[in-house]
Amino acid sequence: MRRIAVSASALLLCVSVVSAAAVKKYGKPLTLKEMTKVSDIYAKPDAFNGKRVKVQGPVVDVCSMQGCWIAIGSDKEFQSIRFKVEEGVIVFPMDSKGLTATVEGVVSVTVMSVADQIAAAQEMEKEKEAGKTAGKTVEKGKEKGAGMGAGMHAEMGGEMGKDKKPFDPKSIKGPKTVIMIKGEAAEIF
Amino acid sequence: MNWRHLNTVLHRDIGYLAVGLSIVYGVSGLAVNHKADWNPSYRVQKTTRRIDPIAATERAEIIQEALAKLAVGEKPRNAFRPNPATLQLFFKERTFSVDLPTGNVIIEAAHPRPVLFEMNQMHLNTPKRIWTVVADVYAIALIVLAITGMFVLKGKLGITGRGAWLTTTGVLLPVAYWVWYLYFG
Repeated sequence: MRRIAVSASALLLCVSVVSAAAVKKYGKPLTLKEMTKVSDIYAKPDAFNGKRVKVQGPVVDVCSMQGCWIAIGSDKEFQSIRFKVEEGVIVFPMDSKGLTATVEGVVSVTVMSVADQIAAAQEMEKEKEAGKTAGKTVEKGKEKGAGMGAGMHAEMGGEMGKDKKPFDPKSIKGPKTVIMIKGEAAEIF
Repeated sequence: MNWRHLNTVLHRDIGYLAVGLSIVYGVSGLAVNHKADWNPSYRVQKTTRRIDPIAATERAEIIQEALAKLAVGEKPRNAFRPNPATLQLFFKERTFSVDLPTGNVIIEAAHPRPVLFEMNQMHLNTPKRIWTVVADVYAIALIVLAITGMFVLKGKLGITGRGAWLTTTGVLLPVAYWVWYLYFG
């Protein structure tokens, strides 16, 4: 009986060690115990503004240029929140996509004016152009008229060859609330 | 051994030791300096393909139908719907973004650039821990190399002659730039 208990403990220890090794830690250690749902932050952004939170979810996007942010999928569909770190403090690898992240930081709620949104969109267009000319390959769909739905256009910036539309400042109708978590601690597994 | 000989020995041997790291930091420095123009660590490839539109309306069924139509033969790490019209399927090295109404698919694959990826990881101190110590020692070694370098030669080519002009120019370069940047940049 004792032998079984010892073996079981050893096995448990091995599993723990292997599991721990599979978790990649970035930046400072996580400190909060309580987990906050991303959907709760979206439901009451003002209540969370400036508060420290720990959230968990799938990594659905990674900053492809500097690895300085990841987007975390919410517990509710069609929602994700950006976890932003200071440039150079943490560099998230691009192969984190699809893994699960636990991150900790302070919720930031800001209102972007129309002018700021236009500037940000134009900057993004510039980055995309730079990306295309240096290393990014975008192959056009082979079939004629391979058009994208509106949803994917919004997400992918309309990178489908002939369907690509230049950014139109008139498409921005008014100020936009931007919610993100600014932090310095993350674990990805 | 007089101080100048010791200085030369230090400069020579630390210089030899610093060759490897100097190349790593130099090459990565050039790569990272232009990160606004390219991705220095990954080669991102985007390709497209087309499948039949997805008819299912429930999340689980949408994923099943998309996987069946894509015939990838690999279990995704995760799935996400950024909006009602799009399904993203995450695999180890690829992300499929499926436009549900049209069946158009964007496949994004990110491949680490050989050697450069590793150099950038070291340059940006991604590993942290012991590499922080190595990077600190290397930084100190560069300072030692700079100081000992000034006293390797004697005479008109040394720090009292040609060396004085070149060293002053090298010191003035960052100072002059910063003054210009503050007032005109």
